[in-house]
Amino acid sequence: MIRFENVGMRYGMGPEVLRDVSFHLAPGSFHFLTGPSGAGKTSLLKLMFMASRPSRGLITMFGRDISTLKRAELPDIRRRVGVVFQEFRLLDHLTTYENIALPLKVQGRSEASYKADVQELLAWVGLGKRMQARPPTLSGGEKQRAAIARAVVAQPDLLLADEPTGNVDPEMGRRLLHLFMELNRLGTSILIATHDHALVEEAGAPELMIKSGRLTIRD
Amino acid sequence: MTNSQTNQPEERRSLGAALNALLVETRSVMPAAGSTGLSLVLVIAAMCFLASLALGAALSVADVTSGWTRDLSGAITIEIKPSDAMTPEAQMSAALKLLNSTEGIVSARPLSKADITALLEPWLGQGNVTDDLPLPNLIDVRIDPISPPDLNILAQNLATAVPNGEVDTHRQWQSELLRAARTAEWLAYAVLIVITSTMVAIITFATRAGLSANKEVVEVLHLTGARDRFIAAEVQRHFLHLGFRGGLLGLLLSIATFLLLGAQDGAANMFLVPTYGLKPEYYPALICVPLAAALVAVMTARVTVLRTLHRLL
Repeated sequence: MIRFENVGMRYGMGPEVLRDVSFHLAPGSFHFLTGPSGAGKTSLLKLMFMASRPSRGLITMFGRDISTLKRAELPDIRRRVGVVFQEFRLLDHLTTYENIALPLKVQGRSEASYKADVQELLAWVGLGKRMQARPPTLSGGEKQRAAIARAVVAQPDLLLADEPTGNVDPEMGRRLLHLFMELNRLGTSILIATHDHALVEEAGAPELMIKSGRLTIRD
Repeated sequence: MTNSQTNQPEERRSLGAALNALLVETRSVMPAAGSTGLSLVLVIAAMCFLASLALGAALSVADVTSGWTRDLSGAITIEIKPSDAMTPEAQMSAALKLLNSTEGIVSARPLSKADITALLEPWLGQGNVTDDLPLPNLIDVRIDPISPPDLNILAQNLATAVPNGEVDTHRQWQSELLRAARTAEWLAYAVLIVITSTMVAIITFATRAGLSANKEVVEVLHLTGARDRFIAAEVQRHFLHLGFRGGLLGLLLSIATFLLLGAQDGAANMFLVPTYGLKPEYYPALICVPLAAALVAVMTARVTVLRTLHRLL
């Protein structure tokens, strides 16, 4: 489903932050992405949600070589990928409900077709009573749950999460992990970038370890 | 925290927030242009006020010129100066005989001494037209505008039949007046074009500034799978509201101005603009102004967003 072959990436004229990265994520797989801070985890995720382009190598997503994709084709691929950003990136002028419904709205769906689902998801992540609140009034943990809800609401084929349990207590962390596992059972491929070893051990999923821009895989 | 507590800040709206909601808020996924929202509405309102005045002036001047053209092209004046060869009475009856036998002439009415004195009074003052002042006799002639007589032949025939008889077709007066009026009319349309261009420039600038200030939002929208079309639609909806609201505000101001001009009557006499303000039948035409403002705002915003997004990302 997602294939990286000898991918390298640098920002501008700087040094390579990713070197010869090769791996394959099969449909329905569950992986963790680990490594020390600054090792290149976020850069790798950026390549996967097409916010950056590689300096070299081949990236294939859903059977398409992304270097040959036209600008107008990007949204179709992006709609198949849900992303939980490390810094959440919720839109401050929208309510929590509107933020979470955003991926469905941009697809052109009518509110009537998704309102109940979004409300149910909000209740599930414990934000049922914060639907009309705007992100600046949410706590860190609430923002994180809202960001996760937004990433999963459209039931993507691939979910990328950058430190999704960084701001929640262990109990909520476990609940979120179970949400990811439940989604994975329903067919979504999951890649979670994390520092939380307890989470990795609990899930028992394979690990993509990145260090100084190089990637190794531990099954 | 309970739901009601959560919603409290949303419910408690100040007057400023209520005004903002009425004039600026559009519930768009793209944030309202923030502090530029209200000022943009006011700028568009001012532009539309000027545009409505210009359109009203153009329509009034066009109406006045067509009235003049109709009146003046349907009338000529026969001027008969005193002559030694014929008595004034004989001159008059010869002229009337000729006019009545010419095809294309609807009526010929000799002006009385009192009429001629009244015509001269604005120049000479009341009571200054004395009996010994030699005055020409005048005949007001109405011609059929559909099949008018040949005025050159009429002038030749008149010169032969009536010594010192001349045809005044008002052409010189008419053409000078029309030229002045048409210039005023075109000037009003030129003002409309300048206003439209200025509005396009302002909205282009505001759209670019809005996109630049909301780069983060645009990026999140793109990453959640939004197409440029979707972002353009959200931005243009915002500008549709601003354009229409500003346009409506400008229209109301201009209607108030025209009504005030009408109420002022003679005191509001301006260059070529009738003293009675705008004719009632022209008010519906002014509705085009806010509609055009909204259309210009939407089209400008759409083109700017699509161009800017293509260049940015």
